Amino acid sequence: MTLIFMVILAIIGGATLSVQAALNGRLGGNVGVFKSAFLTFSVGALITALLIFFFEPNHTVTLMDVPKWQLLGALCGVPYIVIMVVAVQRIGTAVATVAVIFGQLSMSILIDNFGWLGNEAISLSGTRISALMCLAIALYFIYSSSKSEAKAA
Amino acid sequence: MQILLVLVVILGGMGLSVEAGILGPLGSQVGELWATLSIFGVGAALTFLLMLFFSPRESPSFFSQPPLLLIGGILGPIYVVVLTVVTPVIGVAMTMIGILAGQVSKSLLIDHYGLFGTTERKIDNKRIIALFFIIAALFFMAKG
Repeated sequence: MTLIFMVILAIIGGATLSVQAALNGRLGGNVGVFKSAFLTFSVGALITALLIFFFEPNHTVTLMDVPKWQLLGALCGVPYIVIMVVAVQRIGTAVATVAVIFGQLSMSILIDNFGWLGNEAISLSGTRISALMCLAIALYFIYSSSKSEAKAA
Repeated sequence: MQILLVLVVILGGMGLSVEAGILGPLGSQVGELWATLSIFGVGAALTFLLMLFFSPRESPSFFSQPPLLLIGGILGPIYVVVLTVVTPVIGVAMTMIGILAGQVSKSLLIDHYGLFGTTERKIDNKRIIALFFIIAALFFMAKG
């Protein structure tokens, strides 16, 4: 039951992400990419700070106590924004989309399989491989649909 | 050159998974919201520097933009909090596939109705088939 709930949460997360992408795309076109990325991160920081003030219970471990590499998550997310801006213009949205998802999946399967970064290890099984095959097919369709769109545009 | 760029984009995608992989365990140690703040705090500092040095000099002010365009920043934390809560329970790979399912279905809706000022584009069959296979993948992941 928690499993289904968690998957639904992940799907909601993805949905908000694509709404955000649509809005930021337009904002970026008006004011520039770095400015729109800065707005996203600074408003995000403000809102989480507000949420922390009012809702977060006390923890014995704080951000200052954890190993420093655990604070580097943003260093892995911000390059993505810059890379996409540079790459989409040169290799096209379709190829860029598929390449990003390919990178995400291969890396996440590695992280799960070896339990890297302090995550619990989930080994690569037959059903996980079938899931990958389904995704490969899905990616092919996303690719060909964006390709025909690019032609139309 | 082209191949090189594709490789760089793949690395970018890998970065996203690493971000999720770092966030999950961090969130269980210091709390989800603090973990989220670490992302947005560091991210805001970095992008501020990028903006300061590389933004076009005379770009229009945020205050001249319609407010609707600015709520992207409010949606970001939802995504990061979800990553932090979900990855410890279902693993990084399944989280990424769930996110992907949400993205594809929502972008179908956005395109179909031309929401948020994007150009209206009718749902095409290929994306529906893609969504179907992504859901099948989620199903396999849940079983494995």
